[in-house]
Amino acid sequence: MSIYILPILFIGLFLYGFFKKINTYDTFVKGAKGAIKLVVDIFPFIACIMIAVALLRASGVTEFLAKCLAPVFNFLGIPPELCELILLRPFTGSGSYALLNDVFVTYGADSYIGRCASVILGCSETIFYVATIYLSQTKVKRLGYAIPCALIASMIGAIVACLLCKII
Amino acid sequence: MNKIWLLMMLASLIVLLYVDPGATLSTMIDASTSALTLCIELCAVYAVWLGLLEIVDATGLGQKLAKLLRPLIKKLFRVDNEEIEKMIALNMSANILGLGNAATPMGIKAMKSLDDGSGVATFSMIMLVVVNATSIQLLPSTVIGLRANAGSENPADIILPTILATVVTVSIGIILVLIFDKIKRHIARRKK
Repeated sequence: MSIYILPILFIGLFLYGFFKKINTYDTFVKGAKGAIKLVVDIFPFIACIMIAVALLRASGVTEFLAKCLAPVFNFLGIPPELCELILLRPFTGSGSYALLNDVFVTYGADSYIGRCASVILGCSETIFYVATIYLSQTKVKRLGYAIPCALIASMIGAIVACLLCKII
Repeated sequence: MNKIWLLMMLASLIVLLYVDPGATLSTMIDASTSALTLCIELCAVYAVWLGLLEIVDATGLGQKLAKLLRPLIKKLFRVDNEEIEKMIALNMSANILGLGNAATPMGIKAMKSLDDGSGVATFSMIMLVVVNATSIQLLPSTVIGLRANAGSENPADIILPTILATVVTVSIGIILVLIFDKIKRHIARRKK
């Protein structure tokens, strides 16, 4: 069912544009032109985050942190096997999906841990990545309380996710 | 962000000095290469979405959507500007449809228009970042795809808990922003 949603929306959009007498080709080109500039602007921000995350993983710092935090996670009802995933989630999208796959391979996609990991990833976002990219075209240097708010909310979300996986 | 990045870099660089100094530079360059690859992919994705967005904009559909969502956006983000309302409306709609990559360029545009040049993030900007950073997508399509690949018997059975957990995360995010905003104003008033 859901595979039909986008094509139908697109057909509707082009038909609507035709009836509104809009040059869809010219308009599309005009919009698409903005993509290169946007990507050039956000590349350095993405590179900085990815370099830091790669170093953290290569040095084993995340693994060490995950081990230290395991008792805390255990106390909160989160399987300690998911520490590294939760630690890296705010920084990297592709990296956390790779870790999710590792969890599936090690514990199985339908295991409790596998399901928890799925829900945790589904209900959270790459907080630092979103924050830096959204700020990339503004003069703002500090985001005030935005990051703490998002981090606390995601942490509570992760706890709720593990609870829900037990029930549902 | 400056402090966090410095801390991450220093911690891992110092540890790497003991564990595997030879891997330092190659790790950094590999990461930068994947960032570039990601950007090229994103460029392609953004070209499609920004092209479509321009048509949505030209037909006036954007305004219509914004009008529909205006009461909510006005209340939640405290903005009063048609252009910004439109961008936020499109950003939210794309997010809910699970099109994170389509939501990003619109969110960036909205942030740009919200910027007052003072270097300090306003309430509206913080709210927009937090709503986007707590994920309001309803269909976790990437996760479902990965589960199917990993041989799950029912890859979609995480949809219900995911939607519930998402609602919790977003609501807590919004409530926290409101609380922090109150505290900030309270402190500002005390200083006066």
